Amino acid sequence: MEFKLEAHRIVSISLGKIYNSRAQRGGIKLHKNLLVSLVLRSARQVYLSDPCPGLYLAGHPGAPALPQQPGESVAGPPACWGEPPPPAACAAWPEPEPQLELPAVLEVPRAGDAEPAAPVTGAGDTLQGGEAEAAEAAWRRVEGPRETAVGGAGVPAGGSDVFPQGPGAARRPWGCPPGDEDKMSASPRVDGCRAPSPAGPEPPVPPPVCPRKRGAEGVGGGPADRPAPGSTPLKKPRRNSEEQSGGAAAAAAQEEEEMETGNVANLISIFGSSFSGLLRKSPGGGREEAEGEESGPEAAEPGQICCDKPVLRDINPWSTAIVAF
Amino acid sequence: MAGAGGGGCPAGGNDLQWCFSQVKGAVDEDVAEADVISTVEFSHSGDLLATGDKGGRVVIFQREQENKSRPHSRGEYNVYSTFQSHEPEFDYLKSLEIEEKINKIRWLPQQGAARFLLSTNDKTIKLWKISERDKRAEGYNLKDEDGRLRDPLRITALRVPILKPMDLMVEASPRRIFANAHTYHINSISVNSDHETYLSADDLRINLWHLEITDRSFNIVDIKPANMEELTEVITAAEFHPHQCNVLVYSSSKGTIRLCDMRSSALCDRHSKFFEEPEDPSSRSFFSEIISSVSDVKFSHSGRYMMTRDYLSVKVWDLNMESRPVETHQVHEYLRSKLCSLYENDCIFDKFECCWNGSDRMVERVQYFKL
Repeated sequence: MEFKLEAHRIVSISLGKIYNSRAQRGGIKLHKNLLVSLVLRSARQVYLSDPCPGLYLAGHPGAPALPQQPGESVAGPPACWGEPPPPAACAAWPEPEPQLELPAVLEVPRAGDAEPAAPVTGAGDTLQGGEAEAAEAAWRRVEGPRETAVGGAGVPAGGSDVFPQGPGAARRPWGCPPGDEDKMSASPRVDGCRAPSPAGPEPPVPPPVCPRKRGAEGVGGGPADRPAPGSTPLKKPRRNSEEQSGGAAAAAAQEEEEMETGNVANLISIFGSSFSGLLRKSPGGGREEAEGEESGPEAAEPGQICCDKPVLRDINPWSTAIVAF
Repeated sequence: MAGAGGGGCPAGGNDLQWCFSQVKGAVDEDVAEADVISTVEFSHSGDLLATGDKGGRVVIFQREQENKSRPHSRGEYNVYSTFQSHEPEFDYLKSLEIEEKINKIRWLPQQGAARFLLSTNDKTIKLWKISERDKRAEGYNLKDEDGRLRDPLRITALRVPILKPMDLMVEASPRRIFANAHTYHINSISVNSDHETYLSADDLRINLWHLEITDRSFNIVDIKPANMEELTEVITAAEFHPHQCNVLVYSSSKGTIRLCDMRSSALCDRHSKFFEEPEDPSSRSFFSEIISSVSDVKFSHSGRYMMTRDYLSVKVWDLNMESRPVETHQVHEYLRSKLCSLYENDCIFDKFECCWNGSDRMVERVQYFKL
């Protein structure tokens, strides 16, 4: 367990470094960021391989409802974030259409990359899929406003609203392109995969993980089981803090966790498919850098990120982040 | 300037005493960012010491002649010349600022009274000529002592100008500017033994230049993968062999060193020799990859050995043996248990250099050390 905590901490530090590197003078330093991504990968592997049965890092039913999808309910987060998402599961999503939105910001640097990426791939199994979708949706939601500000090309008229729905860009770094099995099956997350427990028992909540778990019902809650509370993103954070009962590790740790996850969420959104290399092959993997492609558009909107923080916390970005990597 | 530290690690276990001879610049904590020294390089004879800082300036120190009346004091270094080598630039296409920080300085072998050095920032290499002027001509016919032109019609007699001594003035002038050849950040430059060419290395490529030609360079090593997501290592340092002008080595972030022979092919993507020490599985940690990244590689003067520096150790390699180094010296092993903190405060990314002393007894130089 200590390893997991340590790994968790290292992952958050690493993500913070990558995030801050965007603002560095002289552009992104390829060498340093490559090293940081290797540390991330190591920490992720430890995190995944640490035998903690039924460990839910993917969060829980606390995943925010997607306001832009009225009538949709978001399933709980993936039961096991180590799971490979069966692509077919995408179809099983309660959502009528797969999240195809891709912030143009993300698209630009990732030309042609398909992502194994994480959470969305979880979209496979019913529940897990749903949560992954929710997580992904949340990501995109974060990106939404940024994107429009940047004039994202791939964003349909959803505009400033959170989720530009509808036929968006075909590229989806986070997405689970239907039928695109190959990339996802290669996800190294299989390594640490545990048997999916869709309606599984309440998982032991690791202290550093998002506090949302506290108040959440069992992860196994059905896809359609998303309770109404916090139907708007703004309410979520308050609810979360209220629910922070019980607590294993210090609430302080969780506070810290919350602050960090904001960045994590942003990082994931921003770098999206860049980490697919890490996911696909253990020996390989790195991130697209240095050309400075990312720094341009992303550096433009720091303000937007800040306002989305409360939203980000809701989706338990940790799970998404970890899974993403 | 921010101070730099020094340390010694004698090969063969001799007892060498090391001590600070001289500290230049500010020793306290309150140092401006632009004054932080980013690179240091002695000239071949050791009489000049060039330093580059984050503000793009180069300061050259000269060792004073040893004074017979003070036989025990070693020659002190005093400022010889200061000039602004690089300025911050902006790449409009990529919306990137290009830092003026001097990454490397290399002296050219001396040929004549003037001294030449190469200095580089992330993107541009410049050849500087440093020359002394200690005489001034006086008695011009067409102009006054203060420089005003005289009316030619008023000149009735001619005189021969006379050279008179003046206070020593050291001038630095840029002679060549080698630009636009690197997409990534330049980390190394190395002058070839032919004294005509030199290499510049960035994270993924190494280019070969001729000192006289600025509009063209040849790419001799390219490790950029077709898909950047498959990137696993970058080039961290490169150097030419001291005697064989066709041989170069480059080190990687994975702790490996590759030796390339330019005679084998135009593009030296395939190495001739590959130096790697197997990792000790018992010391594996989250940060194993970071601390194994080689930050500097230097050939010995003889050309038979090379020295590499990673975060915690210095290794001496025999060029004839690729499987492991012949010597390994732990520099600050006590830091191994503190790697996580060093990672947090970014100290683990500090790059140290190393160099051989004149007789190829190893010397390790700490470039800068943040505590």
